Amino acid sequence: MAVPAHHIVATPPPFDVPPYPAGIFAGQVVLVTGGGSGMGLAMARAFAQGGADVAVMGRSLDRAREGAAQIAALGVRTHAMSCDVRLPEAVAAAFDEAEAALGPVGLLANNAGANFPVLAEDISPNAWSAVTRIAIDGTFLCSAEYARRHIAAGEGGAIVNNSAQYIWTGFPGDAHSAAAKTAQATMTRKMAADWAPHGIRVNAVAAGFFPHATSNAGQREGGIEELQAMIPAGRTGSIWEFGWLAAMTCTPLFGAMTGQVIVQDGGESLRRSLIMPDYVPPRERADGPWGWK
Amino acid sequence: MKRVEMSGWLAGKRARIEGDSPAIAAAFEAAGATLVGGEADIWVHIAPPPKVKAAHELTHAEWRASLDAGLDRRFLGARDFAASCRARGQGGAVLFVGAPEQALGADQAAAAGALGNLTKTLGVEWARDGIRVNSILTRETGDTLGHLAAYLASDYAAYVTGAVVGIALDD
Repeated sequence: MAVPAHHIVATPPPFDVPPYPAGIFAGQVVLVTGGGSGMGLAMARAFAQGGADVAVMGRSLDRAREGAAQIAALGVRTHAMSCDVRLPEAVAAAFDEAEAALGPVGLLANNAGANFPVLAEDISPNAWSAVTRIAIDGTFLCSAEYARRHIAAGEGGAIVNNSAQYIWTGFPGDAHSAAAKTAQATMTRKMAADWAPHGIRVNAVAAGFFPHATSNAGQREGGIEELQAMIPAGRTGSIWEFGWLAAMTCTPLFGAMTGQVIVQDGGESLRRSLIMPDYVPPRERADGPWGWK
Repeated sequence: MKRVEMSGWLAGKRARIEGDSPAIAAAFEAAGATLVGGEADIWVHIAPPPKVKAAHELTHAEWRASLDAGLDRRFLGARDFAASCRARGQGGAVLFVGAPEQALGADQAAAAGALGNLTKTLGVEWARDGIRVNSILTRETGDTLGHLAAYLASDYAAYVTGAVVGIALDD
């Protein structure tokens, strides 16, 4: 069902009108994990719009390179590299590589993650480890590596984590990601406290549904049209408005903000009424929206 | 810190600010909003922080005053604002600003807790009127408060509604 014509849908400015001046990150390098595609690429492009040079980290070097090319088109320097964020030595080496190529990493965006709808009973130990450790261990290892370098140099900084709108409610049919994304949000608050004395700010955006080429529902036959109407805001998110908010938390505009988890989901996670469609267990709705057949 | 522009976040918007926050008023004007006393596209309500008293030392009159300013006035004001938006056939933005839930006394804990869930409720209830509802609960009063308020009131936050945001670590 489409959003009725008499409903009013709030929309953001277009991509080429960012909310901050082009030079707000000038002279700074941002490292974006999982920055080659999807939401990481949206973060990277938002930082680039503010003039940051971008180190694009991905599991796949090819995908990181493809993303880096799109980011470079915005007029900044980029460096693409491959890294498994679950391995501390690999993370340290990637920071070295980024700094050799572009200079000291001044800002960090943790986006690396994997996610796919699956019944809890069908999550193999390998799949559980992959999804939870990329997000949980990866965010920890990259953030701690970043913080050690900044503390040693006596310099403050800013980290932004990509969390998700389902972190406070659970996400039946997506148990690994439900656990992983909440860990990112709760570690955000504690790391912010740990590193506040060193001037390092840590915030997160709990993002709703921002369709992109590699999102699960982005591949739906018939596109995302039918998904717009289920969200209170009357639309799915435009991926650049997610990138902007993530980058904005790292600007001096929000210079006093730390330890915050900002929900940006068009009200999706809050939707509730006394009368709702009958409850259907995940294993009986494999063909519906968010299904996996 | 270098001065950063807000790139006309609120250009062409009329904002009515109820309550006192020099940082928010300054940021809204810097972001291009026109501050008005009547019909508006944005309604901001800032509640003054109640005095800190142990619950058993609060009179009912003190309790009621905190809840009036921290909750009732906000609901009634938002309700009127939303009605005027609907009458014009236009969307709008509501922003509640106040102290964090556990920062002061039990009166504030009650008011801010109620306000947080009211924010989440109205954000969804009025979503298809194009009216967004958000809260900032913080003890911060400086530039970041002003900038965050301007951001949440602007179209850049078009996908942020029902959000309760803080600024400092213990917010």
